[in-house]
Amino acid sequence: MTENSVTSPLLEVDNLRVNFHTSTGIVRAVRGLSFTLGQERLGIVGESGSGKSMTGRAILDLIPHPGEVQADRLVYRGQDLLTMERSKRRKLRGRHISMVMQDPKFSLNPVVTVGNQIAEAYRVHHKASRHEARERSLTMLEAVQIREPARVFDLYPHEVSGGMGQRVMIAMMLIAEPDILIADEPTSALDVTVQLQVLKILDDLVSSRGMGLIFISHDLNLVRSFCDRVIVMYGGKAMETLPAAELADASAMGRRHPYTLGLLDCLPGLDHPKERLSTLVRDPAWLQ
Amino acid sequence: MSDTTAISVSHLDVSFGQAHVVRDLSFTVSQGESYGIVGESGSGKSTVLRVLAGLNRDWSGAISIQGKEQPKQRDKAFHRAVQMVFQDPYGSLHPKKTVDDALAEPLAIHGIPDAQARIARALADVGLPASFRYRYPHQLSGGQRQRVAIARALVLEPQILLLDEPTSALDVSIQAEVLNLLQALRQERNLTYILVSHDLAVVAHMCGRLMVMQHGEGVEEMSAATLSARTPKTDYARQLLVASQGFRR
Repeated sequence: MTENSVTSPLLEVDNLRVNFHTSTGIVRAVRGLSFTLGQERLGIVGESGSGKSMTGRAILDLIPHPGEVQADRLVYRGQDLLTMERSKRRKLRGRHISMVMQDPKFSLNPVVTVGNQIAEAYRVHHKASRHEARERSLTMLEAVQIREPARVFDLYPHEVSGGMGQRVMIAMMLIAEPDILIADEPTSALDVTVQLQVLKILDDLVSSRGMGLIFISHDLNLVRSFCDRVIVMYGGKAMETLPAAELADASAMGRRHPYTLGLLDCLPGLDHPKERLSTLVRDPAWLQ
Repeated sequence: MSDTTAISVSHLDVSFGQAHVVRDLSFTVSQGESYGIVGESGSGKSTVLRVLAGLNRDWSGAISIQGKEQPKQRDKAFHRAVQMVFQDPYGSLHPKKTVDDALAEPLAIHGIPDAQARIARALADVGLPASFRYRYPHQLSGGQRQRVAIARALVLEPQILLLDEPTSALDVSIQAEVLNLLQALRQERNLTYILVSHDLAVVAHMCGRLMVMQHGEGVEEMSAATLSARTPKTDYARQLLVASQGFRR
């Protein structure tokens, strides 16, 4: 379904590297990652420290000092992001490529009501009156399954629950109608039922508006049921890229990378109870 | 059953002002059993643990631990027998105290002699090298911190451990290590666990029986086998099961 709808990829990444120059040496957070993103749901899975969040940040030019981003190619719809002026790239960010951060508690401004934050996100990118922005924000809040948008609009971030905060973040990122959404663990702070509602919203956007979604997660179960393709990362490198359906396919396991198998194996399963969970064995040779 | 009952909760009610967060909840846990509580956020599952641990004194109903009726203000013996491990290993250790300080404090409070040897043993029990003893929390990874939190609970040699989402902040690979550790400790010492989690697979792996909570009420009590067979009686429990299987188009 995704293959035929893609004419040219939304995003092309070739040999992406993120290095941090520290007093104790260079920390290589991402070591040569290549992928393309079409109008699809691309999952990036891996443990903490595997470089999956840094990949998302590097695309948006949000790597803090002393970090440094290098790539052979980083192209958004034919526009080279590496040589683009900073101001132009800034305009792109939030409008065409945006990112939902992991933790709503630290990503929302604590002294501005959530509604005004969403409205602001809209007015930064679109010419709109205050009233119009408010109306759009209320619609957006409703779209992310918030029951009383008018009441929630006037709440401050500390007055909303974690799940609601995350939906507010998603509303804020989606109100500009981006082409690419990078979602960094967007649902790991949410309950399973709310999680599914949020995924439904993201899913609709991909299928109805042709958005490209990069879904960063450590939850293999979720990624295999939600995404089209999955990149498995370890130590800043892609161990393998595979169709998500193959993660659940027992007959395809022989072709899997040992790291992917290890990650799958250490999950407790409802269907096959086991006495002890297996733990991951990491092979330094994977990083060569 | 009465002499082997470790924890008995009957008609527990908890209110925070207007909000009635736990309503008429009753359950019993036998000695050496591992009991799970599952539910969404706001279902009152963590509140139940906090009340059991004596961290919340505003409740009504009856709680008895090892056959002893518990007052609102718990005594020292209670805290020696019942310890809690919290969800967030980043928030539950004092950032300016070393691992050694964190483990020495409960021993000092309870006037337990031989602290040096006990701390060394507790660290060994949770599989941390002795060299970690004088480290600060920021020098440890999330999984290592959670091991320190478990060691801090174990150093008093409790009979009951209250586990509030002990692995939800950890990577799956580290989660497997911590769950294996908790399983092994329980078998070795005949510990009683109450495990609160939103992850049904974790609860099915760790517990023999579990309670499903919604809006502060116990919706259904079932065995882990019922959960694995996906044959709960109530609609809500079935919904949770479906939701836990991942996304469907």
